[in-house]
Amino acid sequence: MAKLGLDVHNRGIIIVCRQLMDAGMEVIYMGNSFPDIIAETAIQEDVDAVGVSCLSGAHLALGEKLIDNMSIDITVAIGGVFPPLDVRLLKRMGFDLVFTPGATGEEIIKFLKECIAIKGEFYGRRCTSDNC
Amino acid sequence: MARIKKTLLGSDIPRELVYTPNSILDFDYDKDLGNPGSAPFTRGIHRTMYQGKEFTCRQLTGHGLPEDTNKKMKFMLDNGATGLSILFDIPTIQMYDSDHKYSFGQVGLSGVCIDSIEDMHELFRDIKIDETTISLVTHYPSNTAILFAMFLAYADEIGVHWEKLRGSVQNDTTLEELVRSGIDYLKPGDCFRIQCDNIEFIRKNVPRWNVITLNGYNLREFGTSSITESAVAITNGIATIEALKIRGMDIDFIASRISFFWSASNDFFEEVARLRAVRRLWYKIIKFRFNAKDERSTWMRCHVQTSGGSLVQEEPLNNIVRASYQALAAVLGGAQSLHVDSYDEAYSIPTKEAALVSLRTQQIIQEETGITEVVDPLGGSYYVESLTNEIERRIVEEIETIESQGGYLAMIESGGLQRQISDYFYNQQKDIESGKISIVAQNKYKSKEKLNPISTFQHSKDTENKQVEKLYNLRLNRDNEKVIKSLKALGEDCKRGVNIFQSCIECAKARCTEGEMFEVFKKSLGLWVTPSFW
Repeated sequence: MAKLGLDVHNRGIIIVCRQLMDAGMEVIYMGNSFPDIIAETAIQEDVDAVGVSCLSGAHLALGEKLIDNMSIDITVAIGGVFPPLDVRLLKRMGFDLVFTPGATGEEIIKFLKECIAIKGEFYGRRCTSDNC
Repeated sequence: MARIKKTLLGSDIPRELVYTPNSILDFDYDKDLGNPGSAPFTRGIHRTMYQGKEFTCRQLTGHGLPEDTNKKMKFMLDNGATGLSILFDIPTIQMYDSDHKYSFGQVGLSGVCIDSIEDMHELFRDIKIDETTISLVTHYPSNTAILFAMFLAYADEIGVHWEKLRGSVQNDTTLEELVRSGIDYLKPGDCFRIQCDNIEFIRKNVPRWNVITLNGYNLREFGTSSITESAVAITNGIATIEALKIRGMDIDFIASRISFFWSASNDFFEEVARLRAVRRLWYKIIKFRFNAKDERSTWMRCHVQTSGGSLVQEEPLNNIVRASYQALAAVLGGAQSLHVDSYDEAYSIPTKEAALVSLRTQQIIQEETGITEVVDPLGGSYYVESLTNEIERRIVEEIETIESQGGYLAMIESGGLQRQISDYFYNQQKDIESGKISIVAQNKYKSKEKLNPISTFQHSKDTENKQVEKLYNLRLNRDNEKVIKSLKALGEDCKRGVNIFQSCIECAKARCTEGEMFEVFKKSLGLWVTPSFW
């Protein structure tokens, strides 16, 4: 999990990290980081999913760089404050999951697990979590 | 039977069904309230309040290049705004230059980009800075030292005397160390030292400027109750006064330009009562703990912003209603200055239309409701007085807890506050998801139809390129020997423990960039590894 870029707002990502941990997932929280480093870390750590948070308005510019660097078998999720049409643009760009203000922990966990499971099957990824 | 109705960012104070004289049995008008403009100032810091001076309609502006924000500020002033409030973009807040690799894709999006004194010239072109009250939202002590130095150096360059300037800076350690996410942090002690350096310099040289805006709002919106919000702001204030007294400053001199910045969230009467409670409490602290001689030193002067975190994406026009009630609470509570968040808050920075609605919200209160004709109209309400007492009691209790654990700075260093606050907002989230806290159209009365999306702010595509080019030319054309010399002097002052502000002004005049100055802070003072939130 990481803040995308220099964005200062971290309440949302702290909540989601805690929700994921309460649901039994192992979470690596990187704080503020940048697309290339986030992707590199994700691949090195062989994670099942990456979640980034962006409330600064830079989600398209930085999101694109993140997707470019990610490997396709890892679930990529983004949460934040986006103009209405940007949700679609983010999905088209390659984000598997896009969460907007109001998304609940239950939804986030459900969709994450589903996507991890589907990708796991499709790309032959050995799931590192018991919860797949 | 008292019950608790949970509200967003509320304090869970139990409510009776009805309040009667029995609710405030020991009530003593002179001791508990006093007349407005008289100790203990519960009813207001001025005798005539809004009849003598309207609250300042001070809407935040800031986006794109300095010239873009310049236009927007003029638009707001033309439409009746009575004060300016300038928000910087995230690279500027975090103190990276617009051409730094960390700033890529983020320049000018959620505020205006400022890299050097040249940008100040553009930002304020044709605005009379000696005739307008200007709040420069320099959140952190570090970026206050840099950006306000640039502003003062700019004032020098256009021939405006500093005695004429009116406004404020934020300059708050809470923002730099506790409630923001970032890459590089100075140690809390160093950050606090810069906070005090800034206050000392500004107080002595810019007499009409508010030297700190104790927070308040950002801490609250990060996710905490108004009790913790108030307790943290006040303990910071206490620590600041004590540190400045050690530097030889007199209490009346210090306190007379301290100001506060609060959030007005959803729980209507709690928000009104809190302002009254803190006004009374601050008076007591400055008068009896610090023995101020001048009554003006005891005034809790504040700017209030309606709660950004309470505004939602679903049916965004409803947010106008939320922000209006919050603004009303702030006015009934006696705020000096107000910003109303706009209805598209959960989507982006406000469009011109949305920003205008926010300004009109304030003006409608002033012009159409009759509310500002009477001072403290809720005074004497059994409920409001009971609530004011209870809130004051709880804030005092929390202040005592913070002080028993070493005080404001110790609580930040240890991570105690971080974990307390993270628990609060984690539990609030559970309450929202379980429906204990209702959010209309989000978890209650969800609309079955999908409404048309609102149009939102359109950013210009070439802001970053233009600013990067400007920086390139700046670095090329300035006297780089002077730059190196002034940065070196700044570093020495950091290490020697002398007040760094004068060196910051020299750097600003030499056309040092913000990023270059922040690098000096980091290198000479060292970094801090922040405690965990869980």
